Amino acid sequence: MLLMVCVAIGLLAAALSLAEGIRTHAEKLIITWHYFIPYAIWLLCTLLIQRNIGRKLPNRDPWIFPATALLIGIGLLTIWRLSPDLGLRQSFWYLIGSGLFIYALSLPELIQTIRNYKYVWLLLGLILIILTFFIGVNPMGIGQKLWLKVFGIYIQPSEPLKLLLIIYLAAFFADQLRPNMTWINSVFPTLIVVVFAGLLLIAQRDLGTASIFICLYVLMLSVTTQKRRLLWIIPSLALIAGLIGYFAFDVVKTRVDIWLNPWLDASGSAWQLAQAQIAIASGGITGTGPGLGSPQFVPIAFSDFIFTAIGEELGLIGASAVLICLLFIILRGIHIALCSKSTFGRYLAFGISAFVALQSFFIVSGNLGLIPLTGVTLPFASYGGSSLVTNLIAIMLLLKMSTQTSTQELPDRVRSPYNWVASLISIIFILTIAWNGYLAFPHQQELIDKAENPRWAVYDRYSPRGEIYALSGEKLVETVGESGTYERRTNVPSLSNTLGYAHPLFGQAGIEQSQYSFLRGYAGIGWKDRWWHETLYNQPLPGLDLKLNINLAMQKKADNLLADRTGAVLIMNARTGEVYAIASHPYYDANLLQENWQSLLERSDAPLLNRATQASYPIGSLATTLAFESVWSNQNSVQLFTPEVLTRYDSACYETIKANQLALNGIQAGCMSTAFDYLNAADPKSLLQKLSDFGIFSAPDLVIQCSQPPLAPELDELNRNPELVAQLQVNPAQMALVAAAITNNGLMPPPALVNAYLNPDGKWVEINAARPDTEVMAQSVARRIRNELAPTNQAIWYQVGHATINETQPLTWLIGGTTSEWSGTPLAIVIALEENAPDLPQNLGEILLDYSSPE
Amino acid sequence: MNAVIGLILRILLFVGLYAFLGMAVWLLWKSITGAKLRGGMIAIPTLTLTTTIDGEQIIQTYTSSEVSIGRNPDSDLILKDDTVSGRHGRLSYQLNQWWYEDLKSTNGSWLEDLKIEEPIVVKDNDSIYCGDAVFKIYIKPLEK
Repeated sequence: MLLMVCVAIGLLAAALSLAEGIRTHAEKLIITWHYFIPYAIWLLCTLLIQRNIGRKLPNRDPWIFPATALLIGIGLLTIWRLSPDLGLRQSFWYLIGSGLFIYALSLPELIQTIRNYKYVWLLLGLILIILTFFIGVNPMGIGQKLWLKVFGIYIQPSEPLKLLLIIYLAAFFADQLRPNMTWINSVFPTLIVVVFAGLLLIAQRDLGTASIFICLYVLMLSVTTQKRRLLWIIPSLALIAGLIGYFAFDVVKTRVDIWLNPWLDASGSAWQLAQAQIAIASGGITGTGPGLGSPQFVPIAFSDFIFTAIGEELGLIGASAVLICLLFIILRGIHIALCSKSTFGRYLAFGISAFVALQSFFIVSGNLGLIPLTGVTLPFASYGGSSLVTNLIAIMLLLKMSTQTSTQELPDRVRSPYNWVASLISIIFILTIAWNGYLAFPHQQELIDKAENPRWAVYDRYSPRGEIYALSGEKLVETVGESGTYERRTNVPSLSNTLGYAHPLFGQAGIEQSQYSFLRGYAGIGWKDRWWHETLYNQPLPGLDLKLNINLAMQKKADNLLADRTGAVLIMNARTGEVYAIASHPYYDANLLQENWQSLLERSDAPLLNRATQASYPIGSLATTLAFESVWSNQNSVQLFTPEVLTRYDSACYETIKANQLALNGIQAGCMSTAFDYLNAADPKSLLQKLSDFGIFSAPDLVIQCSQPPLAPELDELNRNPELVAQLQVNPAQMALVAAAITNNGLMPPPALVNAYLNPDGKWVEINAARPDTEVMAQSVARRIRNELAPTNQAIWYQVGHATINETQPLTWLIGGTTSEWSGTPLAIVIALEENAPDLPQNLGEILLDYSSPE
Repeated sequence: MNAVIGLILRILLFVGLYAFLGMAVWLLWKSITGAKLRGGMIAIPTLTLTTTIDGEQIIQTYTSSEVSIGRNPDSDLILKDDTVSGRHGRLSYQLNQWWYEDLKSTNGSWLEDLKIEEPIVVKDNDSIYCGDAVFKIYIKPLEK
């Protein structure tokens, strides 16, 4: 039996030693030998103990120790895998624990002795706890001071205190409980002791251990007094204590809040719990494979959260094995209690089993989010010397008692509470396994897709992400390095705001985020290939390359136009909606994210914002374009544009028109007063309809994040104040689509930033190829608008617009496009500059006129 | 290559784990459903001890695997004699034998004229001297 355990742990160590080679897809066999160090130490200790119990206790229960050794082995290797440093310490603790185990085993009258000196043990335990108030430390420097430092070794006295308390209670009940005893002298002394110990621990803020004490006490009391109804104390006390604690202690309140809904603050106070659930989900049924997962994302995975580390790498199968193993030890312990020769032995064995059960349940259910988290160790597996040694001694006592059996049948009255508690514990453990299964399977995908799941960054390091190309063939973003050190590099930093980033610290944004499934190798690949690769490596396949519609030459022009100015340019094919250029200045460089992150966040000119899609700019005098049709359709409107009218326009507008010799009239020059005239002359109902047709109230169907569209005003409101339209805040991409519709004879094309992905067979497959155009106006209307806005002798139309952001910052818009005289690809353009820019129309000429068709 | 070996190791690990747990659970099931609670425990030959205290013969039969002997009233066999220590000695059934062990008593234990320094095997009809007191051991062999 022990042999099977030794082989299983050996297999685990061997699997761990292969992990590095598997992760990096090494050609040759790579073995990380250091995983065999903890295995060797574990094997040595385990065999030493086995040899000694074989000699001294030939009639012991033969299953308990192998099960214990299995848990210790899995725990030790998991700790080592998370941190070899802590793993080494834990190995030494196992050595010390085995030494104590073997020494205590050789004491002939150990059980009698500990029984006789019950008060000494109790006092010793309590004194150690009290000492932590004065000279307590925390090995990590911060947090609860629950440890004592002795000769450079940290000891947590609450661990041995648990065992000492069990011994005291067992001895006291065995000595004092007689059928005729009153409650006062039989139970009262223990109540005082337990309450005192509990208060000490609560004062230490060690709520987990305190709750375990109370539950343990109630369990032992109900079994020894054979009163089943006492068990109801546990849930009712938990409820009362929970309610009081919730309002009295901040610690309790936070714990309960994050337990009720970890996703409310998953990146803050509930980080650990949220990560724990994600880790369990990442493991799924079969686990990621030893050494192949990322359990280190859960803080303190080596101790309190070791169960999630096991659950991630060994999956539901491995985690259930751990729980079944624990349950097995517990049930064997209760069995030993029932067979015990003496009352003391019976109570002690039961106490130890109940203690293992409570501790396991508290921490495992806490990890899985079933109950509020209490920081206790998982018996045998968690990192922590005091806990391991205490648990080993407890097992030693169980083994000793398993040899002191009686063949006498216990009366049913005595036996039934034990069976009852055993069934209760079994049911709770089975429910815990079921909940683990729920997280690992039906709920798995939802948890894995959480934004807080950082595992994609690990995948990116070991399995290359797909690269991003421009339509013109240039590589925009590439993956450099080799498996284990892959990094993302942007070749066109000015496109960073659109391409986004995939950075382990700052997450994902832009195309990198929205096209994650292609780039990361999930979409576009058959599930069988994906499944097999993920089973072998716990990595997605190399990602698929993407081709954007970006035309790099045109992009350069847009960037040159913006240069040091603040604003955005978007150029698209007016017929197909393909986005040829998308520029937003100031921009950030995705390659220098780490260096500049703080300043990028703090800068007032918001370089992280993609102004082409995420800015919210007031429409301003561009409203005229949107209002044309509504004015024309309104029978009451008069001919607005006469030279006489021009004279009453505001002086700034007049200056603009004069300075800008291209400008033929007030509309083209973007005069606010002209715009207001137009809005006032429009039919409000048809204006509202038109705005809606133009997509002003809906976000453009672009793959990257866009700003929130404005809410449609009420018709009454618009009736009262048509100038409201000028204040609606839109993003440049929306206006680019309006420009495209006017250019494309009233048909608004769907915007298309991404063109195609390269499938595993090496063929480009178009993405979203067949989206329909939307007819937003009649062809004749579109033509008339173009004619109104086209300067003579040029195959382009445009309109300048003015607006004010936040009542101070001037904004200059330009929307435009090609006319039917244009010979190449019909183009639509939008420019938005956060400044007064009277020279915009010339810039437009520079961009469009000497542009040759990209097709 | 690495990955395939890794996968095989993982499968073997799961098989090993569950083979162990399967056996354990099977045993547990057997002990729960077994007719007697001590399902997994071994059968013990019944032990009968006789002694004479104040001229009165005492015969006691034990079915447990351990019997304590001493002057203390909580001993399984109480020898009321001033030369007997409180916890004098212990009989225990191990490796299919009954063993007697002296618990560092003041006046020692003797099997006939042999001083018992370390655990020894006792047989049917053996007499053990504890100080001035003596008790005799009868072991009923197990029924086949």
